[in-house]
Amino acid sequence: MMLVTKPVAELCALLIDELHGELPSRIFATLLSKGRSTLPQLSQYTSMTLRQLRHGVAVLLQHNLLFYHLDPGTEFAFYEANAEHAYNLVRTGKILEMIDTSFGAPAKDVMQSLLLSGQTRISDLVAAYQDKIEQATKAGGIVGDEDDFGAETNGVNGDSHPAKNTGPQVKSTAHLNSIICRLVEAEVIDVVHPKTFESSHDVLKTVEKEAMDKHFPAGIKGNKAKIELQERIAEGLRKVRDECKSLKRKLEQNGSAAKRRKLFTGVGMTNGTYEEDIDPALDPKQVIRINYEKCLVDLRNRRLVQFATDIFGETTAYVYGVLLKLLTKDLPRCRSDPAMDVGEDKDDDDEKGRRSVTTDQILDNLKTSVDLSLGIGKAEKRQISSAAAEKVELYPPKKKVLIAEAEVDGEASPDEDEDDSDSSEESDYDSDYKAPTTNGVNGTHGTKVKFDESAAPKERRLDRPTQLRQHLLLLSESRQHFVRHCGPNEWTVDFVPLINALREAELDSVIERTSGRQGLRLVRILRAKGKLDEKALPNVALMRKPELQQKMLEMQTAGFVHVQEVPRDLKADVKKSFFLWFCDVDRSLNRLLDTSYKTMLHCMQVLEALRQKERDVLETTKRTDVRGREKDTMRKEYYERYSRFLECERKLFAQVMRLDDFVSVLRDF
Amino acid sequence: MSGRGGRGGRGGRGGRGPLTNGRRAVAQNSVPWAMDGDIVLDGKPSELFPPYDVPKAPLLSRKEEKQVSYFLLFREQCQDSPLYTQARNWTQSSGTTARTYGQDQLNKRYGQMSKATVDPFTAVPTYSHRFKKVPRTLPDLGSRPFAKDFFPPELHATLDGDDEHSSGNGPVAKRRRVGPKTLGLSNITSYKTAEELFLPDAQQLGVGAGAGAASMDKALQFIDTIEKQNGDEEAILSGEDDDDWVKGNGEDDEDGNAEEDDQYEDESGDDYNAEAYFDGNQDDEDYDEGGDDGGDYF
Repeated sequence: MMLVTKPVAELCALLIDELHGELPSRIFATLLSKGRSTLPQLSQYTSMTLRQLRHGVAVLLQHNLLFYHLDPGTEFAFYEANAEHAYNLVRTGKILEMIDTSFGAPAKDVMQSLLLSGQTRISDLVAAYQDKIEQATKAGGIVGDEDDFGAETNGVNGDSHPAKNTGPQVKSTAHLNSIICRLVEAEVIDVVHPKTFESSHDVLKTVEKEAMDKHFPAGIKGNKAKIELQERIAEGLRKVRDECKSLKRKLEQNGSAAKRRKLFTGVGMTNGTYEEDIDPALDPKQVIRINYEKCLVDLRNRRLVQFATDIFGETTAYVYGVLLKLLTKDLPRCRSDPAMDVGEDKDDDDEKGRRSVTTDQILDNLKTSVDLSLGIGKAEKRQISSAAAEKVELYPPKKKVLIAEAEVDGEASPDEDEDDSDSSEESDYDSDYKAPTTNGVNGTHGTKVKFDESAAPKERRLDRPTQLRQHLLLLSESRQHFVRHCGPNEWTVDFVPLINALREAELDSVIERTSGRQGLRLVRILRAKGKLDEKALPNVALMRKPELQQKMLEMQTAGFVHVQEVPRDLKADVKKSFFLWFCDVDRSLNRLLDTSYKTMLHCMQVLEALRQKERDVLETTKRTDVRGREKDTMRKEYYERYSRFLECERKLFAQVMRLDDFVSVLRDF
Repeated sequence: MSGRGGRGGRGGRGGRGPLTNGRRAVAQNSVPWAMDGDIVLDGKPSELFPPYDVPKAPLLSRKEEKQVSYFLLFREQCQDSPLYTQARNWTQSSGTTARTYGQDQLNKRYGQMSKATVDPFTAVPTYSHRFKKVPRTLPDLGSRPFAKDFFPPELHATLDGDDEHSSGNGPVAKRRRVGPKTLGLSNITSYKTAEELFLPDAQQLGVGAGAGAASMDKALQFIDTIEKQNGDEEAILSGEDDDDWVKGNGEDDEDGNAEEDDQYEDESGDDYNAEAYFDGNQDDEDYDEGGDDGGDYF
């Protein structure tokens, strides 16, 4: 799934070094380069002692960064690096921020503790929190009781407060329990089971063997048996995969799950009343950990909402966010695994079909404070072809959207260019929604509805469901196919073509940044026309030949366009052969992905170099008498150097995270 | 290339010169100034650092700020946890990006603390070493509970903290476990941001309010007054104004001490850090000022 190239390997090792230290990072790097190995082998590779290795491997396993496989009866286990989880470390900040906005600060606190300690038994976590709460109450008693109230309100705003206010983030073990319940129900936390540590390859092997022994003891004969075996294997794999959802299932069996959820979604954590009694006590023996797959689904939702914001504006994007949230509530991962989901289509066909949301559901989940009349234009009835607008598409589109998108359209690109503008701040569909002051940014792209500003103001006063429908129709009409109108008043999202459109939008903005508008225009011409001869291109593009050639070469070195040489005769004379320009989106994207890995790695290396440069300052700040009081104890120049370093560090990490945004669009979504 | 030159020679395309010189002749005809007589050669060396439009990343949005802060806070907590190990030896590795060939060289990159790698300038034990955090080379696994059923059996002893050098499960190892193990939650709740650090100086001094800051302030004021009184440096250097010299000497004694203390603590926590003493003070204005007015240093 994730191709581990050299830059990726180095990046993962550096990330582990950053968060968990040098020893695990060394072991991880060795495991990545040498493949699966046992402890004695590792000792040979790294010339470290077995004791060191055991400690390092234990840390890595605790943080879920390794797979291991132990054949029964053997002494040594085989360890294998889990590069995906190592890469996910870079998303920690994003995941925490997401949890913070959608579940509140206390949930973020729990999540952070969980990330910090790796897989944890629930009882241990509860005990740790109990300790902390007791300490906090003791300290609170000394400081004074009136502080409690202030701390409570502060807890909501985030945790950038002095240590005095930390305790009450999670107020009691019951509160902790309810938080864990909510997170488990949202699937962002799942249960560790013995198979968690088997690499997917090992799991496949065991499942395959089981299926063979159980159902085909005499061997496989014929195509029919082969297909059946495939299905059995897929079934077995799914069973293994679902094991980590056991806790969630148990919670849902309680029956009150839906009710509890309903109580909580509206309430949030702003007021101090928690319905703790309703939550069932969790089995303290269970071991829980973060489920990155589900976190990715949520991150994808946010990215798509941002994409919609760029194209339509705030209100429509908000509606879209609500729709996505409802739609992906039970979606376990961004992409279905071809090995496992083979049979699923057949078995749960009706279930798949049910993955849609009705207009009423969305309406129920919208905040009443949102003014839906914003962001949609007004048009007279006769100007709208309602048949075309309300067209119901029962099935996902068959043809690739990439080709459909190739219509040369100069208008659409600027939307993506201002990715980082302020508007993205408001796109969090969960909490800080603000009603936009202007009407929709640009509602007219490629839609069949033509708006008329002079339409009668009376028509603006539509009722809420109709307005909501307008937004949804707007979404479904766009070139990117944000939403598919899959039945009367039913909506669904085809993620694959949509993500492809998003990818292409990203690619376009990169091309525009590097080669300018001219370059982007040329690329779009090539996409529309397919392969074009070198001599024909100036005519099509209406550009002068030398300029054009320079641009094309520039883009070829950047990997956006490619050239193919077709000899006219056997001698393959260069002067006579054709040179065909074309652009291959997948190839460009792969190259971009690789470049982003390299840039991320480079950022981390720059940081390391900076650290080495400023090491005398940094060593000072690590001292126990200086730490926390840097301002008072350090001299001015040193202090300035230190703060400059901190600023650089922030910028570098921010750059890494932005690149990760890009990588997740290209690779994971 | 040589083949082509040979052909040229045989063909007799070369003008004057011996037969083997064909290549040079071809080159002579095709150099730019042979083809174009009016050409003016620009003999200037190319600019070493030509102006380059450095692309700048856009400023962080509020959301990104939050994300980065959360990440940094998380990292800070991680580095504070008992599982974090770091034994980096800066003096030895002159850059982590250096090319390595083979495992031996790679291993050398990770510094080992031994007598050979000790920095002679900082290794002499001093008082301020008490404040130095000793980097952990092995994670402290014994201090916290683990879900042991998910680890292979070969690691179980290690997870208990019983993995001593002898690897024997003797009473020595057992002794370490005292009381119930608890999962410690980090107490670090904030991470210094650059904005927090860039506070105005006035506030900084006000907040400081410690004796050190106050005396530093006084010293600076004193230095100012001396400078005003004396007018120029030569007066001090020649030692004409005895009163001031004596006064300065007396006052400077304490202040000098305070300054020195500060300085040493700031830099590396050593009494004698020669490297920093020379390097650090060249661009150190405070020190220069002190040297100028306080004639006692001579």
